[in-house]
Amino acid sequence: MSIRNILSPFTAWKYLFRDPVTIPDPLNDRPGSPRYRGFHKNDMKKCIGCGTCEAICQNGAIDMVAVEGIDASKEDSGLRPNIDYGRCCWCALCVDVCMTGSLTMSNEYKWVESNPDAFRFTPGVDKKHWDNAALGYHRPDGYQLTGRVREQMPELEPAKRIESFDEIVQGYDVEQAKLEADRCVACGLCIATCPAHMAVPDYIAAVRDGDYERGLKILYDTNPFSQICGRVCTHRCETVCAARHEGDPIAIRWLKRHITEQVPRDRYRAIIGDPAPPTGKSVAIIGAGPAGMTAAYDLARKGHAVTVYEALPHAGGMTRYGIPEYRLPYETIQHEMDLILSMGVTIHYDTRIGSDITMQQLEQDFDAVILAIGLQMGRSTRIPGSEHAGVKKAVDLLRRITEGEHIDAPKSMVVIGGGNVAMDIARSMARLQKQQHGSIDVTLTALEDLNHFLADPDEIKESLEEGVNILDSRGPQQCQVDAEGNLTGLKTWKVLSIFDQQGRFAPSFDETDEQIHPAEMVVEAIGQMSDVNLLGEELTERLEWNRGRIQIDTNGRTSESWLWAAGDCVTGPDVVSAVAAGHQVAKSIDAVINPVEALTHA
Amino acid sequence: MIELYEQLKQRYALGEISVQRFDLVFITVPRENLASLLLYLRDTEGFTHLVLLTAVDWIEDNKFQLTYLINNRESATDLGLRVIIDRDEASMESIHDLWPTAATYQRELKEMFGIDFPGSPRIDEDFILEGWTEIPPYRRDFDTLEYSRDTYLERPGRSTSDPAQHMKQLFYPEDKD
Repeated sequence: MSIRNILSPFTAWKYLFRDPVTIPDPLNDRPGSPRYRGFHKNDMKKCIGCGTCEAICQNGAIDMVAVEGIDASKEDSGLRPNIDYGRCCWCALCVDVCMTGSLTMSNEYKWVESNPDAFRFTPGVDKKHWDNAALGYHRPDGYQLTGRVREQMPELEPAKRIESFDEIVQGYDVEQAKLEADRCVACGLCIATCPAHMAVPDYIAAVRDGDYERGLKILYDTNPFSQICGRVCTHRCETVCAARHEGDPIAIRWLKRHITEQVPRDRYRAIIGDPAPPTGKSVAIIGAGPAGMTAAYDLARKGHAVTVYEALPHAGGMTRYGIPEYRLPYETIQHEMDLILSMGVTIHYDTRIGSDITMQQLEQDFDAVILAIGLQMGRSTRIPGSEHAGVKKAVDLLRRITEGEHIDAPKSMVVIGGGNVAMDIARSMARLQKQQHGSIDVTLTALEDLNHFLADPDEIKESLEEGVNILDSRGPQQCQVDAEGNLTGLKTWKVLSIFDQQGRFAPSFDETDEQIHPAEMVVEAIGQMSDVNLLGEELTERLEWNRGRIQIDTNGRTSESWLWAAGDCVTGPDVVSAVAAGHQVAKSIDAVINPVEALTHA
Repeated sequence: MIELYEQLKQRYALGEISVQRFDLVFITVPRENLASLLLYLRDTEGFTHLVLLTAVDWIEDNKFQLTYLINNRESATDLGLRVIIDRDEASMESIHDLWPTAATYQRELKEMFGIDFPGSPRIDEDFILEGWTEIPPYRRDFDTLEYSRDTYLERPGRSTSDPAQHMKQLFYPEDKD
């Protein structure tokens, strides 16, 4: 044994006067590290109750529970995650996946308690002393489990699309659609907002799986206008999408379109399946638009004999005669209509109720009648000069364009209105101007300022790209006519406010800010109304009305027991709302005319 | 590190290289070259320390990836050797004769991924999962949630709501399913 071995233990003495590295009171004074994954915190102002935390939890530790004082809305289920810490393994997947960033973790981990049920609580609702802890695990910036950027939709360039009425949107390819579908967390918050309550997460899952036939079946369970809605739906679902909180909402509308494009058209009918056997009951439907044709589809599939009366030569209603072909090709509408007709629906085109056939006759011949006539007549501004022949209604012009009539495009024109119809006519006329004159001169004036236009933001953006001159906050005052009686332009004043203090429509103007917009044609696109002359005097008197619209109950039934009404003519313009209304009246009629069957299926 | 790669390439068949940092490089190598490469790197190039041995389940490709991370204390550099093996017959030559500590990693991989290392000491003994009867839990086809539900009792009184169904009850209960 060497001397070194004997002395070396004494070297430890040199530590005698150093500060200890150990903790004096390890049971009480031992905070978690700054990014420790301790008890959860949940920011009630940010949580939307999407349940993605529950879905990802690998321990089944999270329940979504209703909480008193937190009301559900269209963008918040009102549910909140309740965590069972007997199962939680503190992995923080729930924090990483949280769609709003509301769920985080404190660095608190010590809690002694004899009641095991205390370890089941709802963070953010059941107050804890760590609720305001600054430290703890938060999802690091830039680290996200779901993709935040929407797949870019291929579209025609403005210079190219202005030359024709070719469809602008090209549609996703399979790879793009899968990537987009992969971003969806399938929370289903969107379903309540969709007027037709389409099973959005289910059909997006079908895209993910590449099972397009299943996807199509799901679409047509709730929406016989799926090809059309896949193109022109107002997609309110996307305004409540959980993904929008920290990125782009899922392109729900484009994924719907993608499914309809992936399934060969000759497969549709077989996938949707045959209607039920005939019931012997019959229903007449007036108007082959979205509401009428949806009701026709539902009723025919239940086995009722459906006859549709359409005043114009084609089915589709406003989707055909109002929406320009660059947004919705006619052949797409035709396929959709043929599909509905293939369920055994009889249709009479060019047949106007009121003149060709009376309402009384329909009442006698059918078990039920649906009025789905839409909003066909353009409203007028009634400003001086608006009765001039050069002043047109947008819906009339759009209908004439659809019918293939030649329209002499004026060299310059003004559109009055800031909604989608105004954009539709401005962009359609710009195309005609381009074709006939080689240049575009369309000015669009609207009462609203640009941030409050009723038109979709996409429509405004695309109109501007195509060379439409948009002037916001301009109130039309007079259509200018020269000594020879020619229309020369539109006079507008600057809008100061649109509504009065009670919220009534009462625009006020700055008369000193006056502009004359030179134009050979002025188009009014300020709203539509129904042409209810077909009802006839006697029926009009018998029916109950509500501020110019036919009064209906929640099922779409009018005050006449045999007559239902649905769609734009009672609920205002929107394709998917009309589809939903079509379902509603079909269900209501089925229950009335076929009560036993309806009961056994309930 | 790049020079080392070029130098090794003259003696061994190597796969792709991925440079993570100037002091951290991964090289994919054929399994038959692994042991001789490790021996050479340990004894000639100064990579004397086995930092860790771990695996990745590339279930889509039906492969396991083994990563042998070794460290050169002198130059403070880390080198990861990646070996791709078949997932169905998951078995690999043991390196416990190069580093005795490898036996522990290999025992862990046997238990968690089901990758066998024949001849490795105590390779068939339970490591941390005593009495485990399911498929190895780090395999990606192991359903953690299902296991958790089957294995652990649910506290009484728990109930959950689906957000979409809950909103349906509130906003449009009249519609049939």
